[in-house]
Amino acid sequence: MDFKESTGLYLIAGGVIAFILVQSIFFLVKAWKQGEKLGIDKKKLRNTITSSAVFTIPSALSVLATVIVLAPSLGLVIPWVRLSVLGNLLYETKAAGDAMSALGQEGGISSTITDPAVFAGVAWVMTLGICFSLVLLPFVAKPLHKKILNVGKKDETKEETGEKKEKKSNGIGGFIDLLTPAVFIGLIGAFVARAIAGKGKPETFGDGAGVLSVITLVVAVVASLILEYISKKFKLTWLEPFVMPIGMIIAMVVAVVAYNVLPPELAVLEWRG
Amino acid sequence: MSKKNKVEKSYFDRVHAWGRISSITALCVMIMFPLSICLYLGVWPSFSGVMAGLLKLIPLYWSLAVIEVLIYTPMLGAGGTYLSFVTGNITNLKLPCAIGAMENAKVKANSEEGEVISTIAIATSSIVTTVIIAVGVLVFKPFLPAFTSSELLMPAFKQVQPALFGALAAGYFSKHWKISIFPILVMLGVLLVAPGLDAGTLLFPGIVASVVGAFAMWKFKIVK
Repeated sequence: MDFKESTGLYLIAGGVIAFILVQSIFFLVKAWKQGEKLGIDKKKLRNTITSSAVFTIPSALSVLATVIVLAPSLGLVIPWVRLSVLGNLLYETKAAGDAMSALGQEGGISSTITDPAVFAGVAWVMTLGICFSLVLLPFVAKPLHKKILNVGKKDETKEETGEKKEKKSNGIGGFIDLLTPAVFIGLIGAFVARAIAGKGKPETFGDGAGVLSVITLVVAVVASLILEYISKKFKLTWLEPFVMPIGMIIAMVVAVVAYNVLPPELAVLEWRG
Repeated sequence: MSKKNKVEKSYFDRVHAWGRISSITALCVMIMFPLSICLYLGVWPSFSGVMAGLLKLIPLYWSLAVIEVLIYTPMLGAGGTYLSFVTGNITNLKLPCAIGAMENAKVKANSEEGEVISTIAIATSSIVTTVIIAVGVLVFKPFLPAFTSSELLMPAFKQVQPALFGALAAGYFSKHWKISIFPILVMLGVLLVAPGLDAGTLLFPGIVASVVGAFAMWKFKIVK
């Protein structure tokens, strides 16, 4: 039996998942009680739960799709825990790839971990790499939140006294909205550029840029754009969270077809050697 | 100050107290996860390997953690912030869920009512996500060996990264295409000179080029 699928690991993961559920239920109950104290209509509170649950289902399924995509390389347990606690798709995929190459696993997330020590190392790197926000929050959240509440109160007072709100000066603050997308674009772009022009490890098929990587990349982009267009054009809101996972799966299916249909020398061609 | 305000203020204080405890507990639980794996499998990874992996991640991820805490905390409310940072998937799930719930309930963010609605929405979203992933993983478990050992599916799993980042790029690059062109050209240029660079190293010049390029375009009013 594959060590990555042993029952003990599932029990460890189950413990982590149980903690998340207990914590979420705790905050839910406390907020509900506070809502009652504030006199918020119970129907409104119930509607919030129902609409949030319905809103979440498609996105949760897309997260599940990512867990399954990472599973052939990492097994199910690490992606399950990492995407249920603190994680997100972009961070976890990069973290897994970096951790595997640092621990000597050739081929990154395209390869399958067979060494338990590498598996454990990947779990350490993925956990410690992502947990800094939990270290920051206890120190930063309360002062920051209080500041926001005070600003809100000042604004309300101004509105009540009829004072005109002045527009914020156009300082560096305007750039902050662009900062996160710019960082993400740099991050995503590195993988895109590598699929177009990167040189792979000679001993690992599929690691470098070549016919198959470019076909997969182009199909993923085109399929996702078409799906996004369809979801917007026909107002299919349920489709929106699935655009990315379906685009990704279509690209992987096309990779399989191309590998089996193209002449063998073309299918394995990697132009940087 | 009225009695009602005192009650509300003490609720915020209590939320922060619970949040601090839950963040620290979550941190301990998270660290217990790899520790338990090592103890259960009876293996310890090489210290140098783990450090090498962390050195690739920490400069980027820890800086992003600072940015995310500063950006998301004002939007999510107190309870929502602590819960969201523990359960993750903030941009693609928790934040839109909280904003949608507050809009539906017609309450203002950063009001007492907004705090309650946002926390209920994010807690519900966390529970639903956790349950769906758990059920999905347990249902999929029996089929995994067929996936990993299949010769037919092998090329698909060799091309996970182009598929995944291509799909992500479609969303990000189409929304921000003006600021995307420059960093991609820079990274392709870097690869022409040093083709063997892995993506983990390449992304550092990529992020610098992307941020500098975006800043220049914003400064010259090419993008808003």
